[in-house]
Amino acid sequence: MSSEMWVEKYRPKSLDEMINQEEIVARLKRFVEERNLPHLLFVGPAGVGKTTAILALAHDLYGPDYRNYIMELNASDERGINVIREKVKFFARTAPIGDVPFKILIMDEADSLTADAQHALRRTMERYTRTCRFCLIGNYSERIIEPIQSRCSIFRFSPLSEEDVKRCLRMIAEKEGVEVSPEGYDAIYEESRGDLRKAINLLQAAAAASGRRVDADVVYAVLGRVSPGRVREMIQLSLKGEFIEARELLRSLLIDEGMAAEDILRMIYSEIMRLDIPERLKVRLSDAIGEVDYRLTQGSRPEIQLSALLAKLVLVGEEMRGGGAALD
Amino acid sequence: MAEQPWTERFRPRTLREVVGNEEAKDRFLEWLRSWEDGIPEKRAVLLYGPPGVGKTSLVVAAANDLGYDLLEVNASDYRTAKRLKEILGRASTQQVTVTGRRRLILIDELEGLSGREDRGGVEAILDLIRETRAPIILVATVYTSLREAWERKLRELMKLSLPIELRPIPVVEVIERLREIASRVGVEVEEEVLEELAIRSEGDLRTAINDLEAVARGRRRITLQDLEALGLRDRQLYAEEALRRLFTAKTLQEAKGIISSTQLNYDELIDWIYENIPYILDDPRELSEALEALARADIHKARAERSQAYRLLKYMFDELAGGVALSLERSQGLLGVVERHLRAMGIPLSLLKLEERPEGVSIAPVRYLGGDTWRRVNMAVRSLGGSWDREGRRWIVGYLRPPRIALRYWWSREKRRMLKSISSKVASRMHISTSRAVRDVIPILKVIFQSDPEMAEGIAEWMELDGDEVKWLSKG
Ligand SMILES: Nc1ncnc2c1ncn2[C@@H]1O[C@H](COP(=O)(O)OP(=O)(O)OP(=O)(O)O)[C@@H](O)[C@H]1O
Ligand SMILES: Nc1ncnc2c1ncn2[C@@H]1O[C@H](COP(=O)(O)OP(=O)(O)O)[C@@H](O)[C@H]1O
Ligand SMILES: [Mg+2]
Ligand SMILES: [Mg+2]
Repeated sequence: MSSEMWVEKYRPKSLDEMINQEEIVARLKRFVEERNLPHLLFVGPAGVGKTTAILALAHDLYGPDYRNYIMELNASDERGINVIREKVKFFARTAPIGDVPFKILIMDEADSLTADAQHALRRTMERYTRTCRFCLIGNYSERIIEPIQSRCSIFRFSPLSEEDVKRCLRMIAEKEGVEVSPEGYDAIYEESRGDLRKAINLLQAAAAASGRRVDADVVYAVLGRVSPGRVREMIQLSLKGEFIEARELLRSLLIDEGMAAEDILRMIYSEIMRLDIPERLKVRLSDAIGEVDYRLTQGSRPEIQLSALLAKLVLVGEEMRGGGAALD
Repeated sequence: MAEQPWTERFRPRTLREVVGNEEAKDRFLEWLRSWEDGIPEKRAVLLYGPPGVGKTSLVVAAANDLGYDLLEVNASDYRTAKRLKEILGRASTQQVTVTGRRRLILIDELEGLSGREDRGGVEAILDLIRETRAPIILVATVYTSLREAWERKLRELMKLSLPIELRPIPVVEVIERLREIASRVGVEVEEEVLEELAIRSEGDLRTAINDLEAVARGRRRITLQDLEALGLRDRQLYAEEALRRLFTAKTLQEAKGIISSTQLNYDELIDWIYENIPYILDDPRELSEALEALARADIHKARAERSQAYRLLKYMFDELAGGVALSLERSQGLLGVVERHLRAMGIPLSLLKLEERPEGVSIAPVRYLGGDTWRRVNMAVRSLGGSWDREGRRWIVGYLRPPRIALRYWWSREKRRMLKSISSKVASRMHISTSRAVRDVIPILKVIFQSDPEMAEGIAEWMELDGDEVKWLSKG
């Protein structure tokens, strides 16, 4: 029997079912009543209902076959603004049938577009205003250029409260026949904060891993299998001079977790920036990381490149302990 | 009748026997079936991929199963366009043969004419495709590392035909096929042997079957020891010899001489060095410099391969010889590494006697250690790849260990491919980007697939995951 991931199964279909975000929901409902929309810009952290809200609005506006009236694009998955424009052109070419004279184009992660791409997008938005409304979604409004912001109604989504998150989790747990201890809920909330997608996913994994009896230990065990804590451990091992162990961990990240070398590198970078080490060492390491990043694009073997970086960390660790092998 | 080699004897006769690449197979068959409704838009398929993954086999099996009459030519046998046209021209204008069977044309070993001097050959094939009334299948052997260069070369053929890539066969599938063959010939093969053969083949089933035949010849039972006959032993000896000489070389010239005279190929050499460097260089600065040199050697090699400008390889030589081999000055070798490691694990060296012996570094307790301490030392030694020698009452850590990088890297490439296809399914159903899918959802899916088969089944169906993808998510 086919069954959705819980995040999808319990995604509100209609604006009425949305949790919190009350002002936003009220304003959106007015658009539905008027059967008209401005261009929209939704900003806010992950998993707070941005995508849900626009899908629900479309549902309420067009009815159950709303999928025929919308197109979803994710800017970070599309190959360049030209491809996006082509798709928009094709989608917005014709007016929809029915009493709503426009379709809705949803552009997720719009804040990942470069400023140039956004300018190009702005022109496209203008050209098709008659048949198409845009809903741009992103995490930060500062990363959206002024001219686009000024053409959109901006909606700022806030993180959901602990109470909201737990209430939603409880509802799902009940419907799915999962027993969750209070500490279990605490642990899930602690990790996910106001990101409901993360919270629901975590609940589902914990339920699967425990025969549907979730407590805090189960949650932590699941987290140990998914979190980037292992990158941190790898760096610490290197700094302690335990290169061989650090390399084993690197292998396990590449192989067992299937992580891309680029992702590991990104995590190494942000960890190192947070380390308590002299600034000049950070700069030097940043330079080394940048070099590895470039080499990865050149077809060299990721494991060897990353290992060489770990060895540099060993050297830094040695210097900080005042060992003989000081970096010059 | 002379006995056929096993690769021929067990060449798949039916589609069911062609393992791996399920999705590519489906696309191929769909195209072939589309001929039943008239001539489709693409009149040719281009099957390409590394050796021994079943390109030719797939065509032969499909012809068998679907009742086609197969006309097979090797592009490289007809080096002139004229000959090719003579052979195929007429056949391609007829959809059925004189006996009334439908015709299928296979042009194999296309890579044989990818050179510039074969322009005419490529043109002739392009012409054939434009006009043919019978399905044409082009087959080319393309090494993964050269894929891009190759795709550039055959761009026109790729455009005019439907390109379908076949990939290395996943280890589990190789193992299964080997097991089936072993049971059909009636030899008993240890599971570890199958694994080892499968891993070593890097997804090339022909090599795997050949290797199996080589060890199995004249035996009823095969154990892991029998495998050594196959050459791992030799590789180890070559590598030992090369590494020992490398790290004792005194000049750049000497080191380069050693590198160019070893029996190992460059990849093997880099892998062996990479695996063993941290066991040879215990001084952090020397370790760091040598690994950096190795990383640079690797990048020079990658550039040479990508651009096919093989003169660039000489820089790889210099890095390996000068940067890696001459790095050893202060380091104490394995003895130093072991000492450092034990100290780091908080084990007092006064409890142990460390010495270099021909078989490795020996670590002997100087007095009775007691269970707890013994276990701590044991763990520390094992993490260096050493083990307890019960008779000698000491631990031994061997000087060299065979590389694991090739295998692991291969797995991870395989994995990346899986990640890509699974993440795009996740992304479109869960309204997120593919990179978020990889980061946030796939780890969750893995937990589910590894612990709750029932839930997993439902999700697999919802996401329309194929068998390979389910297997991959369920793997520990
Ligand atoms: N996918 C497969 N399923 C079953 N057997 C296979 C498969 N791939 C290879 N083999 C075995 O290896 C032998 C060689 O396979 P095949 O000739 O199809 O390889 P190929 O991909 O055409 O390689 P090349 O590029 O070298 O021509 C077959 O006879 C068969 O025994
Ligand atoms: N305000 C909300 N009301 C109801 N469900 C929500 C809300 N926010 C998030 N969710 C749940 O979390 C999931 C992810 O929400 P989504 O709208 O896709 O987040 P994002 O803000 O990142 O677009 C949804 O499937 C839904 O189940
Ligand atoms: Mg979203
Ligand atoms: Mg072949």
